[in-house]
Amino acid sequence: MTADLAVFTVSCSRKSTGARTLHKERQLDQFLAEVERRALRIAEMGVRDRDEALDLVQDAMIKLVRNYSRRGSNEWSPLFYRILQNGVRDWHRRQAVRNRVMVWFQKANTEDHDYDVIAAAPDSAGRSPEEELQNSQAMQDLESAVHALPTRQREAFMLRTFEGLDVAGTAVAMSCSEGSVKTHYFRAVHTLRDRLGEHWQ
Amino acid sequence: MNNTDERIDQQMVQQAKDVFDESVDSLDAATLSRLNRGRQAALAQVARPGQEWRRWMPVTGVAAAVLLAVITLRGPGDMEFTVAPASDLDILLSEESIEMFEELEFYSWLDMQDLEGDGNFG
Repeated sequence: MTADLAVFTVSCSRKSTGARTLHKERQLDQFLAEVERRALRIAEMGVRDRDEALDLVQDAMIKLVRNYSRRGSNEWSPLFYRILQNGVRDWHRRQAVRNRVMVWFQKANTEDHDYDVIAAAPDSAGRSPEEELQNSQAMQDLESAVHALPTRQREAFMLRTFEGLDVAGTAVAMSCSEGSVKTHYFRAVHTLRDRLGEHWQ
Repeated sequence: MNNTDERIDQQMVQQAKDVFDESVDSLDAATLSRLNRGRQAALAQVARPGQEWRRWMPVTGVAAAVLLAVITLRGPGDMEFTVAPASDLDILLSEESIEMFEELEFYSWLDMQDLEGDGNFG
């Protein structure tokens, strides 16, 4: 009798844990499906390369699921963007190192003048010329202006405006105080207004 | 900042948001497909019940190997066999009375005294 009760309890416990996992997986799927496209465009504005941005978004999704899936779903958004922004910053650091190495490498191979690396490079966003033409001028202006912002201002502006995070959520995503978020955002808006104003009024 | 500046800022922010949303909506099918594949790869990382222990397998394996190496290097001569004190877990899992565990060291000492006594009189 006691053994039967123990087996029944273990069985119920497993079913309950399985149902909770399935529920959590569905919640995660829904959350990631909601944010992935905006996250891609935000990452793309940070690195200006679609393939790299896709890798960064996938990496952020995997890290969120691995490390924070047990957290409440209301915490996922700032955590996800925190991972993504860290990924973008790491990407820039690696690029800086790579560029230094490439400069040294190119100096060491001065005889090779026939191959133009820049001319041979694919479009940074992975788009065809036709697609480039279809892109709206407004988006190109915005992308250039946002990309030209200092890193922290760019992050604050994109998270607040494009992702719609509140000040507290943006502070978590940027690992800084709410006061810093307000300052970065305020400065970003003023800089963008100055840069875009004449085209957008 | 006056009201006009504030209004201009709000307009600019709203316009930026609209332009951004439009660019998100116009992402091509190939990109959406890659995003979907990335999401599925991430969701595959959700720990299934009963699979959680697999995450700790490498750590446990390394710990066991280190322990084995230490025992092997030190050799059996260095090892001292002592009566291990009862851990908190032993106490919690046992149906014996707590007083019995508190007296465990005393009982061990008592056994040793008996053995020595047997030796003296044998």
